[in-house]
This record gives sequence, structure tokens and C-alpha cells, in this order.
Amino acid sequence: MRLKILSMGVWEVIMRKKGLVGLLLTGFTLMLAAAGIAADKPVKIGFVYIMSGPFATYGQFAKQGAELAIDEINQAGGVNGSNVEAFFEDSTGKPDVGIRVIRKLVYENGVDVVMGLDSSGVASAVAPVMKELKTPLIITHAATPDVTGTNCNRYTFRVSLNINQNIAMAATIAAEMKAKTWTTAGPDYSFGHQSWEYFQKYLAKKKPEAAFLPAAEVAFSPAATTDFSAYVTKIMNSKADGVLISLWGGNLIDFVRQARDMGFFDGKREILMTLGAATEVLYALKEKMPEGIWVGTRYWFQANDTPLNQAFVDAYLKRFNVYPSYNAHGAYGAVKTYAAAAAKAKSVDKEKIVAALEGLSIELPVGRITIRPEDHQAVTDGVWGRTAADPKMPIRILKPIKSFAGKDITPPVEETGCKLK
Amino acid sequence: MEGLLANLLNGLSWGMLLFLISMGLTTIFGVMGVLNFAHGSLFMLGAYLSMQFMRWVGSFWVGLLLGPPIVAGLSVLLERFLLRPLYGRDVSFQLLLTFGVMLFLDDGVRLVWGAAYHVVNPPPILSGAIPFFSQSYPVYRLFIVVLGPLVGIALWAFFAYTRWGKVLRAAAMDRQMAEIVGVRVPAVFTAVFGFGAWLAALGGALAAPHQSVGPAMGERIIIESFIVVVIGGMGSFPGAFAGALILGLLNSFGTTLLPDVQMALPYILLAVILLTRPRGLFGAEA
Repeated sequence: MRLKILSMGVWEVIMRKKGLVGLLLTGFTLMLAAAGIAADKPVKIGFVYIMSGPFATYGQFAKQGAELAIDEINQAGGVNGSNVEAFFEDSTGKPDVGIRVIRKLVYENGVDVVMGLDSSGVASAVAPVMKELKTPLIITHAATPDVTGTNCNRYTFRVSLNINQNIAMAATIAAEMKAKTWTTAGPDYSFGHQSWEYFQKYLAKKKPEAAFLPAAEVAFSPAATTDFSAYVTKIMNSKADGVLISLWGGNLIDFVRQARDMGFFDGKREILMTLGAATEVLYALKEKMPEGIWVGTRYWFQANDTPLNQAFVDAYLKRFNVYPSYNAHGAYGAVKTYAAAAAKAKSVDKEKIVAALEGLSIELPVGRITIRPEDHQAVTDGVWGRTAADPKMPIRILKPIKSFAGKDITPPVEETGCKLK
Repeated sequence: MEGLLANLLNGLSWGMLLFLISMGLTTIFGVMGVLNFAHGSLFMLGAYLSMQFMRWVGSFWVGLLLGPPIVAGLSVLLERFLLRPLYGRDVSFQLLLTFGVMLFLDDGVRLVWGAAYHVVNPPPILSGAIPFFSQSYPVYRLFIVVLGPLVGIALWAFFAYTRWGKVLRAAAMDRQMAEIVGVRVPAVFTAVFGFGAWLAALGGALAAPHQSVGPAMGERIIIESFIVVVIGGMGSFPGAFAGALILGLLNSFGTTLLPDVQMALPYILLAVILLTRPRGLFGAEA
């Protein structure tokens, strides 16, 4: 009873002082409470990769890269003081599954950001959904130009190289080769077709006399193909002396070993493999990967001798006993990029993160990347190289390595067809 | 001419690999009436086990010899304890069970061997290539082209001429009558299932030096095997042979001549066969 009277008395005093002190007091208490909640509430990151089926190894590398980055961040005090918690989902490489698991991550797990995506098909389907979910998406592997081009939107970002950038490098290398007529071997979906389309466009600009085989004579194989002999025969019996290969994953492994047995790598044709320097592929093929072939990648662990890259490669090798692939780097880089955006925004509020990501520039193991505010594509340095044997290494390495500055390989915003504003 | 012959060999080698896998599928269906969805996973398991033995012993032949019987042994247990209780029930139960086994094996393989791709070398005697006009052709592919028909003929002779083969055919034709004359049909079924699994695993072991060994490798080949079996006629050996040849050649020549519709060709053929000859090319009339 006394207590009640006393407390009433306090409230009366506060009210008499025109509520000023009380307002300050309650405001202070609320702020304390809010800070307390923030410190307890983890930052949630949802990852969507291919975790099963023939491309599962890509998801595995990405998961390792993500875990390494998250552990580093958490040991250093987290994102803006909050621990990072990861949620991994399997897109299975199918667009409808990709959409479903992203909805689940956002609605059920309440993630603050989504990262990942391997397949261009999944990326194209998922990007428009992010508008509805109002959640930032950082793409780390899928390369279709559409998601930062005609199909771009406020919430979709990409920190990895896209097809334009990769093929711009391929065309530069091809222009210096002696091959006159080019053909392609690629997967029979948007990625393979777009790679070939941009290659023709870019190479024709650099080397107007270059010729290309018509659509009926190039080799696009369904993703489920395991026997590439018919495609190899088709290319070997065509008049092409240059081949752009955009196959990846298990398809590329099957193609290389079957083509090798059929004498495809006999030196009679110039060969470019746009994703040939994926360590997932190099570890599987080992000495079966021919030497002296030009191969591309999104990141090569020996291409950059900065302390940051060295530390990343060492930490990765020590923990997982393999060299990091570009997909491992993509996931690692995306987490670090998000942490930088959260520090810049001083918040993990989704809208503030979007604003902070626009124009963000950050040093990653691959080099400095800058996310263009106009189309959300990162301007990032690229690398190609020729495969070479090194007795000290378990896999083929790149020698020489040819690095390209991000600004030289990234088409201007006007060409992308992206209209964000 | 050169391209024509190369395409012929490409089609034959792919077709013969399909034939080896389809034979097990068609045997199990022909004798037991079970549509085995897990067949592709048994194929995959055969590839992985052979690869593992090869790594331990260093010989392709040891892998080829030891891998498939283990898969057959596992399948015998599978038939005895999981599939047998379902024979009396609706066919959908069998489909669900084999589908579940497929998922189980696909993930199990990933647990044991990881998600990475593996590469298996052909044995020294079959590696390398022989000169082929101005190009060269891999010996291993020719080996498969020869092996396919040999295994096929051996199986056909077994079913046509041996006592065991006749018992199997009897059990397939009329289960009740076979039981009346003293055939132990349940034991026959178990044996047939194990035998079909051995064929699938043999196909996997033979495919390993030819394609990458990785998770879900069976899913990619099982669809084409089903098409082969349906085109040829469920349960028919000559049918599986013809179906596999047709699909292999469609694949190689289609790639060169009709690249735009090559992917759809097997399905178009499947639709045409189902419309005109629902029992397949060599299927028995009801």
C-alpha cells in the first residue's frame, strides 16, 4: 500500500514537472531496452546454392566460403555488434525451388539478406521476387546479365563477374589468336546461348574479320548430357579453328575427358573455356586437364598477391584442405560486402542496406570491387590464364595469368538496359 | 564419310551403355512387374563402389568384379525386407518405395564420398586411342561397343536355353502355375532383383571411366533408360537392344543433323510409339 502511494507520488511529481524529466527517463529506458534487444538478436543471412545433384560441389565450396567469412566476422565482434547466423537452402538448380526457399528464408527464418544463386535460370526467376519480399539479394555466381540489366531491380545486387565481363575478356584473348572461324560448345540454356551471343558481338568489334559458325552448326548440349562424343565429333568435323566452351561443372569434366580421348586437344584449334579455372573442375580432372588451354574464372587464388588474398587462401586451405574456388570466394566476398554495408548504414534495416550497398567499394581477396549504384553490378577485376602443370600443386594452375581491370571489361550502364530509378 | 562413321560409333557406344542399364530395368519389370525407380541409383552406387575398389587395389578390373556384386547383395536385402511385403498391394506402393530408396541412396553416396566430382581412369589396355582417318577414336568406347552385344547375347542365351532361364520365364509368365509345379517364386524374385541390380551396377562401373562420377549421376541416365525400355517393349531383351540402339543413334546423328530438336527427339519417338504401338516395338500382346 505504501509502495503504491509512493509510486503514485513519483508519477505526480513527473506530471507536475510538465512531463519533461519523465519523458527523458522513459526515452532512456526504451533506448536501453532497444540496445539490449539488438545485441541479443543475431543478423540472419540466408544462403541459396545448389546443394544436391550433379552441381552439389559448387554449393559445398560456397558454404565453406560463407562459413569462413561468418566465423571471421563473429570472432571480430559481429556485424554492428550482433552475431551473424547463417541459414543454408538448396535451390537444386530449379527456378521454382529457388523462389520457394527464398520465400521460406524471408518469411519463416526472417533473414535480413539473401545471398548466393548458381544458376542463371534460378537468378532470372528469383530477382523479380525480391521486389515483393523487399529483401536485398546479393548474387555471387549466376552470371546472366539480365538481373543487373533489363530485369534489374532495387533489391538485387551482384558481387561476382557476369557474362558480359567474362566474355569481354574472352573476346580480347580471342582477338589475339590466329583462329579465323569460331564455334561454341555450351549448355543448352540461357547461359550457354548468351555467352555465345556476347562472344560474337564483342569479338566482331575487336576483330571484324572473325567468322562464326551458324546456329545449326554450333554445339549446345542439354544439361543432363553425359556423353559428349556427338558434340565433339560435330566440332571436330566443322571448319571452325576456334572453340568457345561455356560448359561448366560435371558437363565440362565429361566434355574435357571425352574430347581428350577423341583427340580434340591436338593443337589444331584454339580453345577458350569460360569457366575452366573452377577448382571444382580442376580437382576432379587433375592431370587430365590439358595444358596450354585458355581458361576463365571469377576468381583465381593465385592471381592477386595482396595480404588480404593471401590470408584468405591460407585460412581456407588450412580449414578445408583445398584451395578456394571462385564460388567459395563469391560467398566469402558477399558476406564481407554485406558486413561493410551494415557498418556504413549503421543498421541492418533492409532499405538502409540497399542504400549502403549502392556505390559501396570494398577490398576483397579478388581485389577492390565497387557496386555501381545504377545497375547494382560490381565492377570487379577479372582473370584468365593458360593451364599449366606444376609438380608442387595438386591441380593444374594458370600460367601465365592475365588480369583485366574491372573498368575495362564492364560495359557502361547505358548498354545494360537497366533502369532502376 | 569420316563424320558419318564417327557418329555411328558415338551412337553405338552410347547406345550400348544404355542397353546394359536398360537390361536390368527390363528384366526386373519383365519377371517381377516392378518398375524400379532406384535403378539409376544402383547404377550410381556401382560406379562409386568400383571407383573405391579401384583406388584401394589400383585395378579397374578388380573394381568391375567386386563393385557390382556388392550392389546386388544390398539389393537382395532390399527386395527381401522392403519390397516383398508390398507385392500384394497396389503398384503405387512399389513406386513410392523405390523412389524413396533412390533419394536415400543419392544422399547416402553424398555423405560417404562428398559432393565433389570424381574421375576414373580406364585400364591401361583400354586407354588411349586408335587412329581413325585423320582423327583418332578412344579404345574404351570401342570396348563398350563390343561388350554391350556380348552381354546381351549371353543373357538371351541364359534365358532361352538354361534351366534357370526357363524357370525365370515361367515365373514371369504365370506366377501361380509356376508355384504349382514347384518353383519357389519368392526366391526367384529375390534372385532376379539382385541380378537386375548387378546389371545396373555393372553399367555404372563401365560408365565410370567414360563420364564423371558424382552425386545424382544416375538420375541423368535413368530417364533415357526408361525411354529405351518403353520403346523396346517392357520386359523384352531384343526390345531393349533395339531401343538403346535407336536412342544412341538418334542422339549422335540428331546432334549433327537436327540440333534444334535433338533434345526432344527421344520424347517425340516415345510419344509416337505409345500412340501407335503402346506395347513397344517388341512387346508381347496382352
